[in-house]
Formats: sequence, structure tokens, C-alpha cells
Amino acid sequence: MRVNNIPNVRTCIAPLTEDVTVETQDTFASWPKETHNTSATKADACTVDVLIVGGGPAGLEAAVQAAKQNAKVLLVDENQQLGGQLIKQTHKFFGSKQENAGTRGVTIAKELEETVQDHTGIELLLESTVIGFYEDTSSDYFTFAVSKRKGYESSIVKVQAKTVIFAVGAMENMLLFPGNDLPGVYGAGAVQTLMNVYGVKPGNHVLMVGAGNVGLIVSYQLLQAGILVDRVVEAAPIIGGYHVHAAKLRRCGVPIYTRHSIKEIIGSDHVEAAVVVRLDENWQEIPGSEKTIECDTVCLAVGLTPSTRLLSQMGVKMYTIAEAGGFVAIHDDYMQTSVPGVFVAGDNSGIEEASTAMIEGKIAGVAAAIQTGKTSTKQAKELLDIFASELASLRAGPFGEKPRIAKQKIQTFWRKNQ
Amino acid sequence: MNEHADVVIIGGGVNGCAIAYYLSKLGMNVSVFERNYLGSGATGSCGAGIRQQWSTKENTELAIQSVHMFEELSDELGEDIEFSQGGYLIINHTEEELAQSKKNVKMQKTLGLDVSMVSVDEINDIVPVLDVNGMDSVGATFCPTDGHANPFKTTFAYAHAAEQLGANIHTHTLVKDIKTKNNQVSEVLTDKKSVKTRWVVDAAGAWSSQIAKMVGISIPNKPFRKEVLATERLEPLFKAMVISFKDGIYFSQQPEGNIVGGIPIPEQRSGFYELPTFSFIQHMSETLTRYAPALRDINMLRHWTGYYDVTPDARPILGEDSKVRGFVHCHGFSGHGFMLSPMVSRMLAEYISNDKESSVLKRLRLNRYEDEDIDMEQNVVG
Ligand SMILES: Cc1cc2nc3c(=O)[nH]c(=O)nc-3n(C[C@H](O)[C@H](O)[C@H](O)COP(=O)(O)OP(=O)(O)OC[C@H]3O[C@@H](n4cnc5c(N)ncnc54)[C@H](O)[C@@H]3O)c2cc1C
Ligand SMILES: Cc1cc2nc3c(=O)[nH]c(=O)nc-3n(C[C@H](O)[C@H](O)[C@H](O)COP(=O)(O)OP(=O)(O)OC[C@H]3O[C@@H](n4cnc5c(N)ncnc54)[C@H](O)[C@@H]3O)c2cc1C
Repeated sequence: MRVNNIPNVRTCIAPLTEDVTVETQDTFASWPKETHNTSATKADACTVDVLIVGGGPAGLEAAVQAAKQNAKVLLVDENQQLGGQLIKQTHKFFGSKQENAGTRGVTIAKELEETVQDHTGIELLLESTVIGFYEDTSSDYFTFAVSKRKGYESSIVKVQAKTVIFAVGAMENMLLFPGNDLPGVYGAGAVQTLMNVYGVKPGNHVLMVGAGNVGLIVSYQLLQAGILVDRVVEAAPIIGGYHVHAAKLRRCGVPIYTRHSIKEIIGSDHVEAAVVVRLDENWQEIPGSEKTIECDTVCLAVGLTPSTRLLSQMGVKMYTIAEAGGFVAIHDDYMQTSVPGVFVAGDNSGIEEASTAMIEGKIAGVAAAIQTGKTSTKQAKELLDIFASELASLRAGPFGEKPRIAKQKIQTFWRKNQ
Repeated sequence: MNEHADVVIIGGGVNGCAIAYYLSKLGMNVSVFERNYLGSGATGSCGAGIRQQWSTKENTELAIQSVHMFEELSDELGEDIEFSQGGYLIINHTEEELAQSKKNVKMQKTLGLDVSMVSVDEINDIVPVLDVNGMDSVGATFCPTDGHANPFKTTFAYAHAAEQLGANIHTHTLVKDIKTKNNQVSEVLTDKKSVKTRWVVDAAGAWSSQIAKMVGISIPNKPFRKEVLATERLEPLFKAMVISFKDGIYFSQQPEGNIVGGIPIPEQRSGFYELPTFSFIQHMSETLTRYAPALRDINMLRHWTGYYDVTPDARPILGEDSKVRGFVHCHGFSGHGFMLSPMVSRMLAEYISNDKESSVLKRLRLNRYEDEDIDMEQNVVG
């Protein structure tokens, strides 16, 4: 869309203000009509001890801990609001006797946000995306370009940091099938954002693909919003999500079909129906088992992939680890990657949960502060040990199995590389 | 495996693949070794502009002949290389530059090129978005038959056509050493196999000096990191490539709408530095928006780096070495090796197969640097 003469504005994330002219734009953006007649100006710049990329639970905790250790922190997030995934998670968090079990994600986000805002050592840069890692021979610090949106315009800020913590989370997976590019096909995360953050109904009749926690929780939230969920299909032979979430759905009469998947979508300019199909033990479609389901929305909840592009640009060592969700940076016990001064925390270091993301964030925050020399090593080291044991106990249960394996593999690769 | 080839070509860029094609066409048995994938060197990161407006006669001649070949290339190779001729508009900023332009245009015209001086008032007829004052321009030159082609498609088209004629192209194969006998090349060793041969073509781009070193030859080339950016797509509005030798900037609009261009950074240094620089973003956006203020609110989409393989006179080093027989130089293109590739490759193939050495080739041999005065190419950008 074109807003106030500026082309290519992503209006889905730009805040609406008064007196704006919004025009639709076809494939090509038309050239700005009147030009400002000024050339680009010098980029703003800032220098910090710890740059934190991503303001989800991992990034927020990292910021608090690093600032507590006297480091000068800059926290950058591309959204208007801090909290990452948490701001759409209106459900009560699942967990045994852990600190945040029973609390809603949005509430946790709010609390973290307040702590961060109260801290004088933390500077925030919202609506800003870290877009790349750059060489700058005039400095020993890491140099990043940050694209900062202001209204409908954007500019570039040069950020130089002694250390950096990546807490950029993950991306939703897509499935390949005919019609997957039609309007009405969503990632489950997008549906959750539309409903719970913006209060927009994504559709009226939904087919959910995937019965992991995300698929189950979002299905239930769709029902709560008065939307019909036809069924949930799941390719695996068993339901991947927690029993409580599956049971809630069943009680509402929504069937969950395991060993089923989506084959194609019918519709010319939007989703009109979807064809689901049964799978055999080898995950192959069983011919003749196709069923056409009328729906206007197909929601894909088929897993997440860690976001690692910036890490890969920085040349950190990475491996593919299925249990972590794909390609991830290997790191030591204190979340430091193979490039000294570069840390990871949260979903981008392996898909897991908010609770573990928060502790990884705490560890990375303290460890980065130690690296900058802003804190006494002994005292901070004690903190690191406390956090490490919290993390271990969180992963101890049966549901912690997958991340436990992922982290063990990361550890093995790490040692091999030493 | 012990193989034999008439010619071994090192490097699977546009030049290596084009030479493979022309040699195969002349009936020779060719093997190409590329350590990564085809186009993974300068070719895949280049601006792919094709310009005939040069200050030295050699470059102008080679470029004019290459353009004639580009015009027929899609048909000849059987694959579309997306060649288009939108012209090159060279902006002049000073009276001295204008004088040099007049001299160049005169020389270029004697070689038959359709090129002319353009007054300040006429600039916007060719490229509407340019701010004549912002650019600080006093005039320009324009050649309507200059143009652009898709570097990947050109390289692949040459490679496919060569393979159809029997060439063996080995990607992901690193050349590790070259053996000689009595100052004559005899064998090429790679990480996978070795091949006996009497001819080796060094078409390894910025890495050519590493290859030359294998046979004890030292060449004066230096690698320079160069950066390019692409903006978001805008309605296609102009077809010409805009360049300035003073500012070093070049940019054009791709058929898909993106503005693609580059500029050298002030603190440029030679070496294999792979990372993009912040200085480039700053410098490029300042200069680009001075030239075309309408781009002020357009975002950069991508930014990447590649290497120029630069010689002391900014002209390529071509032809058989005078000390090591059978070792053929094809490098040092100094930022304009894509546009010259058809003609250069054909000439080298003819030399290897028929011992035919054109006068241009003779003038671009390595031993020219032993002479006192070499003719420096002035018209360099990026
Ligand atoms: C439906 C659903 C239910 C869940 N339920 C639970 C639960 O009950 N309990 C639990 O513990 N966990 C739960 N989770 C998981 C939990 O939400 C995630 O594991 C957690 O949010 C990961 O935190 P993070 O900080 O790593 O990443 P995120 O929360 O994803 O935050 C990353 C942030 O970084 C920003 N960012 C990314 N790239 C850039 C960049 N280049 N520049 C600037 N900013 C950038 C993103 O916009 C985002 O705001 C659930 C997840 C979903 C989807
Ligand atoms: C940013 C940029 C913009 C440019 N713009 C233009 C332009 O607008 N117009 C123009 O005409 N030119 C331009 N150029 C220059 C042009 O790209 C090069 O001159 C041309 O592509 C050179 O092609 P080549 O085949 O000789 O070398 P390359 O494409 O560099 O190929 C050399 C190959 O050799 C391989 N290799 C190296 N060592 C070994 C080994 N030991 N074993 C096996 N393989 C090896 C490399 O992997 C590489 O693929 C530009 C260059 C850059 C970097």
C-alpha cells in the first residue's frame, strides 16, 4: 500500500493515525509523486555494551539481567509492543509447579515490559528491525544496521555493540500443497495475532492443520471467538500437544484426526474448501480416502523454525538438529556461540517454551555483561549457576524430552568444536 | 581416474563457460573446473551492465564486438539471456570531464559506435527521475545500444550449450595444482581427479593469481571488494544505466522494477573482505538520493558483495603466457569482464584452437607491463 505518498508500506503493521491517505498499490509501487528534494542524511548512531535483538521473553529477561550487571543495554524489536509471542497468548501457561504456570502469557509480557521500562540502563528501540551485520574498520565493536520505522517512513540507525544477544524467536513453517497461496491460508501464529492482539476475526469456518500445542490452543481460542472449527488434522499417529488442551477441544465437539493431512485447497481467489486425506504408516496418502471440507480459512500449525539468518551472516557455527527445529547455532553452557561476544537465547537457539526462553535470556544477559567487563565475575557466576539449575529442572519432565535431546546435541557439537 | 582433455579451464564464471562453449564449437575436448557452483564468483554478484563507451581503444573494440554477439546470443545458445539495450548515460560534472568525453566520443565514433553528447536539458528526456542540479552535471554522453543481460542466464546458457557439444563441466571441484614439463603445462590436479592437458585457461577471476602462482607466474592483479544494493520494486520508468566516473556511482532499473547499483567506498582497500560495509549504505544512499531524490523513501531490499579483479591499467590480461607454454591468461577484467566475455572468450578459443592471435589480444598480454608507458583505462566505475 501507499501511505501519504510513500510506497510499499506494510499497512498490516503500521499504526493508523489521523489524516492519512492510504492508496492500494498493484504489483509495482508507483514513483513518489512529489519529492522532498533532499538527499538521505547521515544515519543516527549509538554504541552500547549489549545489543539485544528481539523483545520476546528471552530478550526481555536478557535485558533486565545485563542491565542489573551495569551493562549499557539496547533492546531492539520490530513490533510496536514488547513481548514477542507472549502478547497474543491469552491462555494460562501450562507447566508443573514452575513460577509462571497458571499465568497468562500477556500478563507475563506486561510485567516484563514494566521492569524493562523502569530500568535506566536499558534503552528501547521499537518498530525497528536489525537488518544486517556490517564491517566497520573504524571500530572493534560489532556493527549492525537497524531499520527504524517512524510513522510511515523509515530510516537507518547504525548500532555498534561490544556484545550481542540474539533472541529473535522463530518463524512458522509452511506446507506445500496446491492452493497454499490463496487468501484464507494462515499460519496459526498469524491467526492468534489477528484475534488476540487486534481483535479481528480471521474467518468463519476453519480447518486446523496440526495438533501440537499451538494447533490445539489456537483452535480453542477460535471457538472462544465464536468461530467454527471443523476439525483438526494431524499427520502423526498421535496428538503432539498436551492432553488438557486436546481434551478441551474434544469437549467442545471438535474432532482431531491423526494420520490425516491436507492435500489441496479448492477456490479461485480465496479458500472455498479443503481436501484432507488419510496417511498410511509411511506417511503416504491413501488414495480414495480424500474428503472435501467446506471452509473459508485454513490454519497451519505445523511447527516453527529458528530464525538464524543474522547469526549465519556473522559466521557462527551452526548445525541442523531436528529436535531444535532445524538449523541452530551451537553454544556453550552460558549461551555464547562460536563467535566470542555473540550470544543466543530462546526459540532461535532451539524451539522450546517461554519459560525456558526466559531463563536462557537471563543466562545470556549475565554472561554478556561479564564479557563486557562491566561486572564482577564471581558474583555473576553464582547467578549463572542458579539459572542453570532452574533450566535443568524445567527440562526434567517428560515434556522436556525433545529440547533436552536438542540441547545435548548442541553440547556434543560444541565440545567437538573446541 | 586419469583423464585427458585438450583444454582445462579453471573457473566456472561467465568467461570460463563462454570459452568452454567456443572451444567445444571448434571441436576441442574441454574440461571446466569450478570449486563452487557456476556463477559463484564475480559473475553472480555483478551489475551485468554492457557498455561500449570506453576511453581505451581495446576496451571499446572488445565491447562493440561483444554487443554484436550479445544481440545474437539467445538465438545462438538456444536459451534467453535477457539481453536488452536501454543505453548508458554517462554524467559529466566538470569541463575537464566534458573535454575527455568529447575525445572519447570521437574515438568511439571512428570505431562505428552510435554515441553522442547530451546537453543538461536533454538528460531528463533519457532518465526522468534525475535531478540535474543535485548531480551537479554539466552534460552527459549517451549510447543507445549499451545495455544489460542476466549474468546467471548468460553463464548457464553458455555452459549448457558447451555441454551439448561435449564439454565436461565439473562444479564443486577445486583445482589444487598444475604440473609443468619443460615450461609447458602438462597436468591439472583437483581435489577429485587429475587431468592431463597441454592447455590451461586461468579464468579464476579474483583468484587468478593463486592459479598463476601454481606455475610460478606472478601477476599484478588485486582483489577489491565491491558492493551492490537493490531497492524495492518501483514502476519501470527508465531503461538506461546511469553512471558517473567522478562519483563512481552506477545504477539502473531492472525490468522487475528494482533499482540496482553500486559505488566504491572512500576507505576502499584490496583484499578478500567478504562482509558488506556500513559505509557503503551511507555513501550509496547519500549519492543515489542526490541523483534521484524520489528514491528517498524507498527501502533497500538486499545488499551484497563481490570482487573486482583489478589490474594496474584496468584492462584485462589475456592470451598465452610468454614463459609457460600452454598457460592462457583470462583475467584482470577490473569490473567489466561480463560485458567483454563473448568477444574475449571467442578470441581466446580461436587462439588455442587455430593459433590465431588478433591484434587486440597481442596488446593485452601480460608482458605489456614490462613497457614504460601503458595506456590506462579512465572510464571505470563502481
Ligand atoms: C500458540 C502458542 C502457545 C504457546 N504456549 C506456551 C505455554 O503455554 N508455555 C510456554 O512456556 N510457552 C508457550 N509457547 C512458546 C513461547 O511463546 C515461545 O517459546 C517464546 O515466546 C519464545 O520466546 P523468544 O523470546 O525466544 O521469541 P519470541 O517470543 O518469538 O520473540 C522474538 C521477538 O524478536 C523480534 N524480532 C525477530 N527478528 C528481529 C529483528 N531482526 N530485529 C528486531 N526484532 C526482531 C520478533 O518480532 C519478536 O518480537 C507458545 C507458543 C505459541 C505459538
Ligand atoms: C559488484 C560488481 C559489479 C560488476 N558490474 C559489472 C558490470 O556492470 N558489467 C560488467 O561487464 N562487469 C561487471 N563486473 C565484473 C564482472 O562481474 C567480472 O569481470 C566477470 O564476471 C568475470 O567473470 P569471470 O568468469 O572471469 O570470473 P568469475 O565470475 O569471478 O569466475 C571465477 C570462478 O573461478 C572459481 N575458482 C577460483 N579459484 C578456483 C580454483 N582453485 N579451482 C576451481 N575454481 C576456482 C571461482 O569460484 C569463480 O566462480 C562487476 C563485478 C562486481 C563484483
